[in-house]
Amino acid sequence: MSDFAALTPQPLPDPDTQDFWDSLGKGELGICRCQECSLWMHPPLERCRACAGAVAIESVSGAGTVVSFIVVRQPTVPGRLPPYVVATVELQEQRGLHLVAVLHAEPDAVHVGDRVQAEVVPLPGGDFRVPEFRPAP
Amino acid sequence: MATALVGIGRTSFSRRSGRTTRAMAVEACRAALADAGMAVADVDGMVCFQVGDSAHPGDVSYALGKDELAWSYSVYAGGNVVSDLIALASASIEAGLCRSVLVYRSLNGRSGHRLGSMEAPVQVPDDAQFDAPSGFLVPPQWFAMWARRHMHTYGTTSQDLGAIAVQQRTHAMANEHAIMKDPLTLDQYLQGRWINEPFRVFDCTYEIDAAVAVLVTSEAVAQSTRHKPVWLVGSGSSQSGSTWTAWDDQTAMYSRTAAPRLWNSTGLRPADMDVALMYDCFTYTVMATMEDYGFCGKGEVGDFYREGRATYGGDIVVNPHGGLLSEGYVHGLNHHYEAVLQLRGDAGVRQVPDARTALVTAGGGPYGGAVVYSADRP
Ligand SMILES: [Zn+2]
Repeated sequence: MSDFAALTPQPLPDPDTQDFWDSLGKGELGICRCQECSLWMHPPLERCRACAGAVAIESVSGAGTVVSFIVVRQPTVPGRLPPYVVATVELQEQRGLHLVAVLHAEPDAVHVGDRVQAEVVPLPGGDFRVPEFRPAP
Repeated sequence: MATALVGIGRTSFSRRSGRTTRAMAVEACRAALADAGMAVADVDGMVCFQVGDSAHPGDVSYALGKDELAWSYSVYAGGNVVSDLIALASASIEAGLCRSVLVYRSLNGRSGHRLGSMEAPVQVPDDAQFDAPSGFLVPPQWFAMWARRHMHTYGTTSQDLGAIAVQQRTHAMANEHAIMKDPLTLDQYLQGRWINEPFRVFDCTYEIDAAVAVLVTSEAVAQSTRHKPVWLVGSGSSQSGSTWTAWDDQTAMYSRTAAPRLWNSTGLRPADMDVALMYDCFTYTVMATMEDYGFCGKGEVGDFYREGRATYGGDIVVNPHGGLLSEGYVHGLNHHYEAVLQLRGDAGVRQVPDARTALVTAGGGPYGGAVVYSADRP
């Protein structure tokens, strides 16, 4: 089990994304935001894709809504033991601002439209911390 | 100037070829040339797509006996570029860069690298780095995620997805070359094991080892080939850099923009098509693109299939060869092989009566395209 978890794919940060991972490393979920037009964007970019303005990682609430989800039943990607839920979540900060992450919930209890809350947890197999969702309290 | 498909070739479709992708590509290319009644010396262009899993044009052409090519291109990409490559081969001919182009795909898609899985451990770069922590890294997850949203928005059911899988299997049963020819009932579909809910095993393409080649030539060359040419009427494409997660509407695919582009540029409509080769890496790809290309309204695909409108005697015959789901996954190039057979009238027991026009789509999700072929010179 622990050997299997150690095989979890790890992100490979680059200059555009390093600040995102650094923020998570401090326990904060931050999203790339334009400092000129205030657009949130994920994945992060070096400059805003709408106005080419400077960007920075800004903390978000972590609250969101399930846009869609799958229940992984077959272990095609190593690292997590099926079954588990992966959800596309729209963060409340902006319409269409999507994040994909594991959702800790009973598969049969998950529905599109459910309200969820992100938490920052260690990713097995390395030093990264990542967002995962739970049903909103 | 017009261009046409004048030759088609393929290897056997198997679960374990025991051969190199170069050897299979060479066989498929030789078969396409023989089909056209042309010699190796008549080919001066070659193009393929691959994801680090195949032989490049230089290697394949050398093994074919050519010392060099006037024009060649190999792109690292998936099934989303197939129609673009046909259009590119045609454009290169029209630009005078070459006269005859072999377009091929060769892969040991089952015994070698399987696109639906991945090996570990890995460090994941680029946009997929955000998907690594949840292991959301392979197509049967991405398409399932989108399918669930469609179910939520339009009330789509497993039975609707199953209707596509069952119809295509029924078609494949009349195709000697198909790898999956056993009957499939809706009950069997529903009892299939889960891959990623809402996808069961029968929602997913059947990965195989195979190569397919099609030969595109100028009109001048096409005049003296063995069969009636199958003419390229036009193409439409839409390639987005959006991630699967950032895409704004999971109930619609690239086809929401590629389809109007295609219909506007060709002046044709869905009702003008006699046969449709819909890219079907998954059942849901067929569903969303059938809607986007305008064969029916959003959320109507399940009924469309149940009412027999996607088969012989209906509105349009969709994937008469069984598609990637049942004939086998040659990354969409086998759709073009089938289109040529149908428009020549050489499809045997599965011939679509009086087929004169074919839509062939490529890709799914944020990126893809389509071409229209005709038995009549445009
Ligand atoms: Zn901006």
